[in-house]
Amino acid sequence: MADNKDPSDIHLYTAATPNGIKVSMLLEELGLPYKVTDISFSKNEQKEPWFLEINPNGRIPALTDVFTDGSQIRLFESGAIMQYLVDRYDTEHKVSYPRGSKEYYDVNSWLFWQMGGLGPMQGQANHFFRYAPEKIPYGINRYQNETRRLYSVMESQLAKSKSGYLVGDKLTIADIACWGWVAAYHWAGVDIKEFPHLEAWMEKLLQHPGIEKGRHVPERHTSLDWKNLSQEELDKRAANSWVRTESSKDQEKK
Amino acid sequence: MDQGLKPIRVWLTPSGPNPWKVVVILEELRLSYEVVSFKFDHVKKKPFTDLNPNGRAPAIEDPNTDLVLWESGAVITYLVQQYDKDKLLTYNTLKEQHLINQWLHFQMSGQGPYWGTAGWFNVLHPEKVPSAIERYNNQVKRVLGVLEGVLADKDWLVDDKMTYADLAFVPWNDRLESVLLCPDEDKFAGFPRVKAWHESMTCRPAWKRAMEKRDKLMDEQGLMWNGMPKGIKNLQEYEAKIAAGEDTTPKDS
Repeated sequence: MADNKDPSDIHLYTAATPNGIKVSMLLEELGLPYKVTDISFSKNEQKEPWFLEINPNGRIPALTDVFTDGSQIRLFESGAIMQYLVDRYDTEHKVSYPRGSKEYYDVNSWLFWQMGGLGPMQGQANHFFRYAPEKIPYGINRYQNETRRLYSVMESQLAKSKSGYLVGDKLTIADIACWGWVAAYHWAGVDIKEFPHLEAWMEKLLQHPGIEKGRHVPERHTSLDWKNLSQEELDKRAANSWVRTESSKDQEKK
Repeated sequence: MDQGLKPIRVWLTPSGPNPWKVVVILEELRLSYEVVSFKFDHVKKKPFTDLNPNGRAPAIEDPNTDLVLWESGAVITYLVQQYDKDKLLTYNTLKEQHLINQWLHFQMSGQGPYWGTAGWFNVLHPEKVPSAIERYNNQVKRVLGVLEGVLADKDWLVDDKMTYADLAFVPWNDRLESVLLCPDEDKFAGFPRVKAWHESMTCRPAWKRAMEKRDKLMDEQGLMWNGMPKGIKNLQEYEAKIAAGEDTTPKDS
């Protein structure tokens, strides 16, 4: 993370979620200085007018930067932010491939797959399994099964991969985008042991110093600490979380 | 636009919304393409899974560049970067290109999954689960509200021109009435700017050509509006037949 001596125009608005840490892990991998604002869900800061100016969708992460022409750019959607950062700053292609190359487009397929598939489906699994005030077995099964199916798609790809990464011979933003979701497998109630290549990939990414550092922004990443907790203990944590509180509020409003 | 290019091959199942995102872009750019229309029954099987390991339509094969691509968002990004030399659906400037990409990601992660899940609980799920229906219908309304706000004082998502990000929202919005199970004229109730924006794209010849193609391909497979073959009562029956390896083609088609 940037210290105060090192001024930077990049300002990340984030929280400790799989989508939020994508951006901090990437910034750390690229060695870019940046400012961080921790957005508090419990205070509903993501819906405050000043934040909606940056992201009208009211979700994290969002990022502002000074563009080459001196104007400010405000971006939301973690996938788009990652593509912006590598396009502008990863000129040596540490975690990306040159625009127009085959690998560049392969990275895009996996990135959109994460954004439109893995994230939303594992998110629904979390909703039905952890947060929903009413236990709906069909909803739990449907989205846990879809999460398993998506993990198996990654598993097959990684089994074929010589490098152990999703695309080509190196870590890319496609891997970084998926990591926080896969690392939260236990929270979604999915067993990573069914997917040995995926588990090895998850551990392998931790060997990258930027991943290890960036996952703890803006606060300590806990998914892996919790892997030995029982489902009952995790349920207790979910019951106290802001998400459940919000769900209950929604129910009360009816 | 189309200077001696070999046709781009688009693999699709006609019922789903996402393939039509790709087709409308191809139509807007007047690129040469050919459709490989196949049944939903085969989406998780070879040969399609050799092209897309995720087993979801669409995927493309471009013989001009020897590229195979999947995920509609990645495909249309490619088509524009590779072939939209006159910047009909994008901008020359990098900042605007990133803003277009941001809205495309919002479509892929915000509109698509919520519209799909709302449709699931409203239409396809065998029993009514009120809390799930309410949750996802509310999310659909929330996302429409975000778009309504952004379009309040302008016609397009990024600056003053229709781009591929605007077009990406059309296929799901065009079937919103069947997602929410409401009359067609009510689907954008409370969201007049979204309605105007949507209709300014569906009245274009490119979208009309895409939908004519869709009608023809749906008929070819004997599919009803909800994507299931005629004569099949619900998704459970359809999935059971697929799992049993039965031929689901309607007898009269």
